[in-house]
Amino acid sequence: MAGADPKWQKDAADQNFDYMFKLLIIGNSSVGKTSFLFRYADDSFTSAFVSTVGIDFKVKTVFRHDKRVKLQIWDTAGQERYRTITTAYYRGAMGFILMYDITNEESFNSVQDWVTQIKTYSWDNAQVILVGNKCDMEDDRVISFERGKQLAEQLGVEFFETSAKENINVKAVFERLVDIICDKMSDSLDTDPTLMSGSGKGQRLTDAPQGPQTGNCNC
Amino acid sequence: MNEEIDDSEFYHEDFTTASDWEILVAHMEEIVNQWNSEDRKQSPSSSQWVVKSEKLVYMETNFDFTYYHKNLEDNLLEGPEDKVKHVLDTWFDFSLMSEDHKHLCLAQWYGVNKFIVISSTGDVEQTNNESRMKTLLSAVTVLASNVLDLPIFVQVRDKWQKMYCGVYECNGIRTNFDTVHLIRGPYHCQYLTGLLDVFKTKIRSPCTIEKIFVSYKATYQLQDFGNFVWRQECASDIIDMESFFTLPFGVSIDPVSSLYLNTLWSYLPEHSIIDSENHSDFKPLKAQQWQCSISFTKNPICLLGDYLGEVLEIINNDNTVYNLLGSFAVLHDGPKTNPLDLLTEPLVPSISMLLSQATRNNKGSPPLEKDVLVPLLFFLFPDAEKDSSFPYGATDEREPLQKKFKIFENMDQELKGFKTCAEDSLVWRLAIVLANVLQSLGGLKAFCHLWYEFVQQMRYRWDKSIVIPGVPPGLPDLRTGLLNQKLQMLNCCIERKIARANLSYVSAENSEDSDDEFFDATDQEEFEERRKGKYCPWDRPVGRLSPFANLKLIKTGDLLYIPFTQDPVLKTEDQLEEDTDILLKLGTNNEASQLRARIMSASLLSDMQSFKAANPGAVLEDFIRWYSPRDWIQAEELDEYGQKQGALSQRMQLEGNIWMEMWQNSKPVPAHRQKRLFDDTKEAEKVLQFLELRTVGQIAELILPVLSHATISRLIVEAESLTEEFAKDLLPRTSSLARQCEKISRDIQFQPNKFEAFIQETIDLEMSISQFNSLQYKLNPHRLDDYLVNKCIGDLAVGRPIRIESMGQSIIGSRIALMLSDAQRLNCFSDVDPNFRRNGDLTFPDPVSREFVLRASCIRSSLYSAKCPQLLRAMISNGEFRLMGAFSEDITFI
Repeated sequence: MAGADPKWQKDAADQNFDYMFKLLIIGNSSVGKTSFLFRYADDSFTSAFVSTVGIDFKVKTVFRHDKRVKLQIWDTAGQERYRTITTAYYRGAMGFILMYDITNEESFNSVQDWVTQIKTYSWDNAQVILVGNKCDMEDDRVISFERGKQLAEQLGVEFFETSAKENINVKAVFERLVDIICDKMSDSLDTDPTLMSGSGKGQRLTDAPQGPQTGNCNC
Repeated sequence: MNEEIDDSEFYHEDFTTASDWEILVAHMEEIVNQWNSEDRKQSPSSSQWVVKSEKLVYMETNFDFTYYHKNLEDNLLEGPEDKVKHVLDTWFDFSLMSEDHKHLCLAQWYGVNKFIVISSTGDVEQTNNESRMKTLLSAVTVLASNVLDLPIFVQVRDKWQKMYCGVYECNGIRTNFDTVHLIRGPYHCQYLTGLLDVFKTKIRSPCTIEKIFVSYKATYQLQDFGNFVWRQECASDIIDMESFFTLPFGVSIDPVSSLYLNTLWSYLPEHSIIDSENHSDFKPLKAQQWQCSISFTKNPICLLGDYLGEVLEIINNDNTVYNLLGSFAVLHDGPKTNPLDLLTEPLVPSISMLLSQATRNNKGSPPLEKDVLVPLLFFLFPDAEKDSSFPYGATDEREPLQKKFKIFENMDQELKGFKTCAEDSLVWRLAIVLANVLQSLGGLKAFCHLWYEFVQQMRYRWDKSIVIPGVPPGLPDLRTGLLNQKLQMLNCCIERKIARANLSYVSAENSEDSDDEFFDATDQEEFEERRKGKYCPWDRPVGRLSPFANLKLIKTGDLLYIPFTQDPVLKTEDQLEEDTDILLKLGTNNEASQLRARIMSASLLSDMQSFKAANPGAVLEDFIRWYSPRDWIQAEELDEYGQKQGALSQRMQLEGNIWMEMWQNSKPVPAHRQKRLFDDTKEAEKVLQFLELRTVGQIAELILPVLSHATISRLIVEAESLTEEFAKDLLPRTSSLARQCEKISRDIQFQPNKFEAFIQETIDLEMSISQFNSLQYKLNPHRLDDYLVNKCIGDLAVGRPIRIESMGQSIIGSRIALMLSDAQRLNCFSDVDPNFRRNGDLTFPDPVSREFVLRASCIRSSLYSAKCPQLLRAMISNGEFRLMGAFSEDITFI
């Protein structure tokens, strides 16, 4: 809910954006969530980041159809003991990147658990992308691409294999997630005009832009 | 014309028209031609009137030039003789629906589906003057002869009179339309015989008129429903406390104000029927067709919508409960109760005791009297009463209510998304009772009083460590409304307080044999051994929960124990938001990130300390193996204790990383001796203050989403009691309302205008349901499950007139006849004669309005003229007499 609070957005550093999306990266411990985020936000990679304590975030602004979309990406601790703390932040998240490590069977087996967590603690319309990270480590691979793909289909979510180290598909995952969220948002605007608030009137995010617009997304 | 010629001026000069009048005619023709061509391109869809309008100025007066067009329904397309397409040659008699657009009465009078009306702009008709009228009419006549097949009318006299003159030309026949409007018609014109005379005189055909066809409609109105007045069941005058435990539903008065029955006869030959002062063949029970329509009470009070509106009204009230209650209530200032009370009082609080406590320091009488307040409080807190009739969770235990129709089954799924609370939980009941109190038990002050008592009860339960009933167990559920979260939080605090009390009680008992640890019995011997030999008295392991996966400490080889840890920190969404705010304000750079990690590390430190206390001699590697096993990289070699060797992952070995640093700085302290991460006393006090300091508007804001949720379930319950067809009709409206409600419950900021729209929709639905119930009661009292009957009632309930098949013999028809004759009987006799109905006679009251349509086709105006259609419509009602004539003549052979 915090993600959509106008008051809250004002406080958040700068105001130079049209929409703000709150995204979360979740998954078992040491599947590479922090590395993935650093690769995307800072385009940097270190072989070892300090294990995340609790929750942290980074901000990146992207353009989509000439709209500035500010992504507030929350990076979570994967350890079991942090579940209560991190799930509290699920509310208001519009997108989830659910990550496992293709070299680690256990992290893949936990995906179902994480999906249950999302269902329990987040909004219904939150979008999820399943990501198999560390695909550069072909030699240690234990989860085939097909297994990942199959699971994603089962869960009804999209699927990518990525490597934060080799910068494979990192940007693509975020772009795709933003796209799905925008589509979903436009759909609900179409079917429900009451969702439209104030300045955003009549505008679809998927439409070509029609002049300046300052409305913040309020879904 | 001087040296310069203005081009535009020059080319617009139309030398073919001389006068204003001619310009008017040309202008009108131009417009009509354009409309016609537009029509040809895009034919209007059936059953929808297309209205186009242009402005005209003539003789310094503004006129509206309006065009109406609608595709005819199929059954009316074929005329009696299908050779000519004269507008009057249709089967059209009486329209089922009355349409409201200002000139559409013309369509109902003459059966025209495409026509033009000229009327002066504004409310006052400027065409009163006869010469003006004639000028316009002659312009129209010219127009009519130029544009074919289009009747053109001019509105004359005052607008409310709806008087029109008009002209129409087609196939060499000109028809003149004329209107007579009187308050009371001439005596001889009240019946068919007189009207026939008028018709014949008016035609003045040189030959005898062969056949005149007569159509007739009589309208009966039923306003006084007598025994058939419907009342909302719960709207009784006796005040029953239990009626305040649910939201009200329905309208305060019968939503059906009148019922109209039209009896119709169509195309009867003139000679076959007699209708005069003395005798009439038009007997309603023998009519060819019956139609029925309903008019509804305008804006009756809809109870459910009214309640919601009432609560919405206080949304901007910034007064606190204490301000409004004045000296009656006092803000809590620390516990005043005697601690010994805890021992002497019963476990369950007695509400009467609470009340006497509250009234001790009161001046004046409370807004809610005790005999009203106590049942309400017992409803909210059924555990305070022995054998309460309203325990929480009773509805869950029962078989879930078998839904009558499958229609609303999916709604349950939709209702899950509400950010409110569980149905029939404490918050749910509180919202309903508060709304009831505000509306009908004393208004705002009583509202405040009840809230005050509620908060008092919360504080009492915290003080006395009694769990609050009707609150879902577990941590504050962020998917529910804030009030529910707060109560869940308070309950968690109470539970922890109780647990703490029990724990200290237990440890006090155990301390006698100096054994304050918990461990598995099988390990006891081993443990005793170790304790004796290995640990110094100041370094004894404390706070062990259970051994962890048979791992052994790397340095000592002792079993690795999972420690007792502190309970997780609980947050309600507003607190969480504050936390997030702080995290966000730190910014996005690396230092900020590290700072955030420090802020978040309190629980890590606590866990490390507990771990150290439970596992003396442990190293970080031991902790990591339990806490973050993926950061322990196992090797194949075994160590001296027979377990696999290994090393910390790269990231855990990073120089100065927070995990290492914290491990170095943490001391062995068992969880119960640590500074509490979550101080239940402080948190409970926060919740209580939150509740105490709410303003009236804030309380309304807390309960409104819950109320709207309750509204939806109430509507569904009511809709379930309808017939399946009608419930199906209502489904789209109901589910859209539910979605609207869900949005409202999730809005971060409460938006009154959205809620107003919600209330309006609620009222509309409530009206529809009540109207249906009322009609069902009147027309189908035994609730026969007959498809046709249900469909008819459903149509009537949404304002659609119906045709009644087989009239007086049908279920609905016979009911209507019965009601009409009952009303007539009540009019005629003051005493009701019980034998009256046995005679089987059904005497109807006099019709409120009658309508005749006379048609003929005859030679006019000379002997050798063609046959032209003639029509006279007479509308006779109590305060109005109206004749509409359309008389045609051959203009080719005059």
